[in-house]
Amino acid sequence: MSISDATTAVSEEMASRADMIVSDGVDKWYGDFQALKGVTATIKEREVVVVLGPSGSGKSTWIRCINRLEQHQDGRIMVDGVELTNDTRNIEKIRSEVGMVFQSFNLFPHITVLDNITLAPIWVRKKPRGEAEQLGRDLLERVGIPEQADKFPGQLSGGQQQRVAIARALAMEPRIMLFDEPTSALDPEMIKEVLDVMKELARSGMTMMVVTHEMGFAREVADRIIFMESGEIVEVGPPEHFFTNPTEDRTKLFLSQIL
Amino acid sequence: MSDTAQETLVTTASQRPPFYRDATVVKWIAQVATLVVVLFALIFLALQAGDNVSAKGIKTGFDFLDVDPGINLNGTIDNDPDTGGRALWAGMVNTLRLSIGGIVAATLLGILVGVTRLSKNWMASKVASVFIEYMRNIPLLVHIILFFAIMQTAPSFSDDVGPLNGWVHFSNKGVSVPRVFQADGFYQWLTFLLIGAVVGNLVRRRQQRVQDETGATTYPLGSLVAVIAVFGVIGWFLHPLFGWLDGVFSTIAEAVDKIPQAAMQIALTVLAVVLAVNWIRRFLNSRRTPAGLAKLTDDDWFRMIFAGVGAAIAAAVIWVVWPGGSSWLINSTRDLFEVASDKFGAGRDSWQNDRPLGAARPDFAEGRFANPGSAGLNFSAGFAAVFFGIVLYTAAFIAEIVRGGILAVPKGQTEAAQAIGLRRATMLRRVILPQAFRVSLPPLGNQYLNLTKNTSLAIAVGASELVQVGQTIGNQTGKNLEVFAIWMLFYLACSLTISVVVNFFNVRLAIVER
Repeated sequence: MSISDATTAVSEEMASRADMIVSDGVDKWYGDFQALKGVTATIKEREVVVVLGPSGSGKSTWIRCINRLEQHQDGRIMVDGVELTNDTRNIEKIRSEVGMVFQSFNLFPHITVLDNITLAPIWVRKKPRGEAEQLGRDLLERVGIPEQADKFPGQLSGGQQQRVAIARALAMEPRIMLFDEPTSALDPEMIKEVLDVMKELARSGMTMMVVTHEMGFAREVADRIIFMESGEIVEVGPPEHFFTNPTEDRTKLFLSQIL
Repeated sequence: MSDTAQETLVTTASQRPPFYRDATVVKWIAQVATLVVVLFALIFLALQAGDNVSAKGIKTGFDFLDVDPGINLNGTIDNDPDTGGRALWAGMVNTLRLSIGGIVAATLLGILVGVTRLSKNWMASKVASVFIEYMRNIPLLVHIILFFAIMQTAPSFSDDVGPLNGWVHFSNKGVSVPRVFQADGFYQWLTFLLIGAVVGNLVRRRQQRVQDETGATTYPLGSLVAVIAVFGVIGWFLHPLFGWLDGVFSTIAEAVDKIPQAAMQIALTVLAVVLAVNWIRRFLNSRRTPAGLAKLTDDDWFRMIFAGVGAAIAAAVIWVVWPGGSSWLINSTRDLFEVASDKFGAGRDSWQNDRPLGAARPDFAEGRFANPGSAGLNFSAGFAAVFFGIVLYTAAFIAEIVRGGILAVPKGQTEAAQAIGLRRATMLRRVILPQAFRVSLPPLGNQYLNLTKNTSLAIAVGASELVQVGQTIGNQTGKNLEVFAIWMLFYLACSLTISVVVNFFNVRLAIVER
């Protein structure tokens, strides 16, 4: 079975790191339709995992289960040692440690870019406004658009908006970042600027889980690639193994269609 | 001018269509024609009405405003008004009380019910639904009559009918509660607050700048409030300091009174001309490009001509049509400053005794609530019935508008707010409701207009407000046309004010796109 092959392929060093996300036999149904079928995987600290798969394969559903935007119905999800249950305290704890970036940015259009970023630090972390704004400007500097602080999201290009969304997620100082197709809604020339920010984030040691169709990014940055189809994990492995020598027929078919 | 430019001009001139096919000219002719037709229609109607009224021997005029109407108004600012004007004013105050109080209460209740209806709590959501369906499916008049009937079942009036003797009384004659009123020195105190607001704003800007520059937390809004509060406290004791404004205003009033009518006419004419010239100059500036003045289209020429014509019409009105208008303006301005002088004159010498605001508890005389003055605030049973009726009825509609507004906010906003860890209340307050209000505001404004106009249903339960008082006065004096004019102007003023306020917020809440 390929999963066990891949697990052995993970280096000793990686195995010694702490588990950040543990997904153990996660099931999810929408009515009669089973979106996730016993999804089991472990993501280590400072690991970058790219989730690939055809549309409808359940990869977005899975990533959204991890911070409770969707509710899994069976199995267990542990984030940094905290189990995701109905306990609102656990949910709040996990959400404050997990940042998320959406395909459609989901910036708050009625407040400025800076206010978008400082909202959670001020109202959740109870930071004084001045301190939060300083943090916000630093983050905008980090994603390369310090001059846009006082504009409204609608005045920015798609790539700039997505970078603001990344800064907004980082403002909570998360230990894990989830990316749900962050570049799918962008024009080709804006994809690079967002991917560059994500690469910088990966290099800085952030634990990242990325759902994307950007094969170049997956090949360059990912420590591991998880391939999903029809709600289950089909194949797991490091990029070089995954792109050059996949074991499963379904993976080969997928790669032949997109590459 | 170069040869090519000359040629272009010549060719465009030669290609010019006849005027009746020229889109710009036709558009302007249509507009001018419409204006003329409407004006003539209005003049015709006014003349016709005047002829009819005089043919029937009806005397018109607003003298009745100064005559004792001999009516009793219950639950108003003046139970026993001296003049018709005073009675109508008492009615207007009650209409305004109903409208403003109603708008505030209906908005708060409506938001609460609307949010509750969307709640995940099944029971709460169903209770909200039943409330909405019950309120909005029964005519408002029925609600008001029902509430009035309920008020009649309250305990009979006497001075020991509680629930809090001497403070709050609830009986079949209405509700009486303590009230706060403006006492002598109020306007001096207001001056202190105004200065406090100006100073506070300067402080707020400075604090904001420091915060932006250094990242220190400086509480800009908090400092604004603090400064105003400090000025308020100082002014509370030192308000007679501004008593001298009395003299300033009376001097201005005297000076205004000395302005001859001709001077006012000249000033107004100059103003009209200056406005027109200014408009034309700004318009030409807006047509200026880096390469020089852009070629003016026919449309531009028509606009500028119209501005000039507007000034000419204004001059004609000032000198020929209504020369008395200028002296009316002079007299009104003088009256305004005299009133201001009166207000500031009051209490200017009373350092120890007078405070800008006073408070009074309900008072009783001869088996009924005492006439307001130093007594509490009285609402008749009818007033209470109308208030509850319009608030609950309008709240049901506002709840639906708020619900629609919330549902119009994209789901991604909720998800993003959850993902950054906002709690439900913070999310509603900071993310969902501000965006929901952007969608809800125009229909909300309509509900406010409806509520204000619906206060006139008070006539059904005999509560005194503008329509009820006007009806009584109209019946007694026969001046129905005049009363009608007052009604229309008053409701028009209310509606326009609401529209302006709603539009102000609409612009402020608009999402900046580019």
